[in-house]
Amino acid sequence: MKNIGIGLLLLGLFAAPAIAAKAKVVAASTESGSALKADDIKVEPFRDAKTVGSLSSGDKVEILSKDGGWLNVKSSKGSGWVRMLSIRKAGSGKATDNAGGLLALASGRAGTGKVVATTGIRGLSEEELKTAQFNAEQLTLAESYSVSSAQAQQFAAQGKLKARTMDYLQEGAK
Amino acid sequence: MKILFHSLFVLLMCGAFTTSSALDFGQQLRDKLKEQLPEKVRGVAEALGETSQADEIAIGRQIAGNLLGAAPLVNDAGLQQYVNRVGRWVANQSERPDLPWHFGVIESSDVNAFAAPGGYVFVTRGLYALLQNEAELAGVLAHEVGHVIRKHHLKILQKSRLLDIGSQALAKQVSNNDKVQKLIGSGAEITARSLDQNAEFEADRVAVVLTARAGYDAFGLPSVLQQIGHYAADDSNVTLLFKTHPHPDARLQKLDVAMGDRFDTVKGLTLAKRLYRVKP
Ligand SMILES: [Zn+2]
Repeated sequence: MKNIGIGLLLLGLFAAPAIAAKAKVVAASTESGSALKADDIKVEPFRDAKTVGSLSSGDKVEILSKDGGWLNVKSSKGSGWVRMLSIRKAGSGKATDNAGGLLALASGRAGTGKVVATTGIRGLSEEELKTAQFNAEQLTLAESYSVSSAQAQQFAAQGKLKARTMDYLQEGAK
Repeated sequence: MKILFHSLFVLLMCGAFTTSSALDFGQQLRDKLKEQLPEKVRGVAEALGETSQADEIAIGRQIAGNLLGAAPLVNDAGLQQYVNRVGRWVANQSERPDLPWHFGVIESSDVNAFAAPGGYVFVTRGLYALLQNEAELAGVLAHEVGHVIRKHHLKILQKSRLLDIGSQALAKQVSNNDKVQKLIGSGAEITARSLDQNAEFEADRVAVVLTARAGYDAFGLPSVLQQIGHYAADDSNVTLLFKTHPHPDARLQKLDVAMGDRFDTVKGLTLAKRLYRVKP
């Protein structure tokens, strides 16, 4: 954290005045959210696990952890596991595009924040995409990083990833 | 016709050709094939607007080159190699594992990702910086792979009727080919064009399945969508993404319906530790 702060400070000091370095700060503390729809709170992250409560649409929750498609939440309706897609994250996790974050970090006041992006770079507008000129050098470079199917397989094995079969999903349920 | 093209692809892919020689070879073969086909059959194929894989790649290559002209690669070879490994592993789970897949992270603070026909996929540094683990990266790349394998952008071009497979040697002199450029419109504009909303939902559905097939936690993409969902609509870094895609909340709701409880017991890896950290 300290290192990042210092790096940011340096970046801030050396960036051309026209392109102020920006920092995105996201609170590292627990995230909050709300129920998108009514759903059960389970004692474990399984559909068949015991139900310990139920959320109504709009109920506020505190998100403690995540396991696959399940979130461990704390709410006034009880604590336990709720299906991730029934929850909308909100509030504290909101990325803020600010220079204040940088200042706060530099001064050490943002000890709980984590930096998710530091940018002196710009976005990509529709106009820029329209007027973009072919860059052969960059394209050749991009293509040079390509890996073979076998290399990808080896990489997967290193991470203990195992391929499995599964049908594509239909638009509707099931 | 379809069968003929199919066997052609197999032939093409079985050989260990580099991309460029594969293009030339494909063109030659295709021309040969055309000579041997009765006039009638040829006409039907052209009317249907089928595009050969070689042409598809040539088109994608031009778009990718233009996109890189607007935003170059992040200057970090380790990062680029990493996304290619993850991306290729995910693409391997699709029905088009033999496309010459290319993945990259481009220098932009925008939160966005792009796909071009033939297997070119790019994510922005802004989006990459939001990722918490490898499964999320896999999910994001898988959405773009979904666009490629279902030919969403190619179909737009085909619809615009500019795509004429009867035209000669589209694939020749691929770099900065005027003909290809004419096809794709101005610059990399096609990547900023909105697809049909259903195409986006379809790419999301493909993404969770490919991510799960690859052994990852299938909820990588939904996690990223949840994060992006709370960006303010007027945040300039999501302007283009929000313009070209349905709102993340709508995408999550559609995914919820499509996924049902099928994934509740499908556990996968997130590989948070292996996520390559990009230097700020
Ligand atoms: Zn999309």
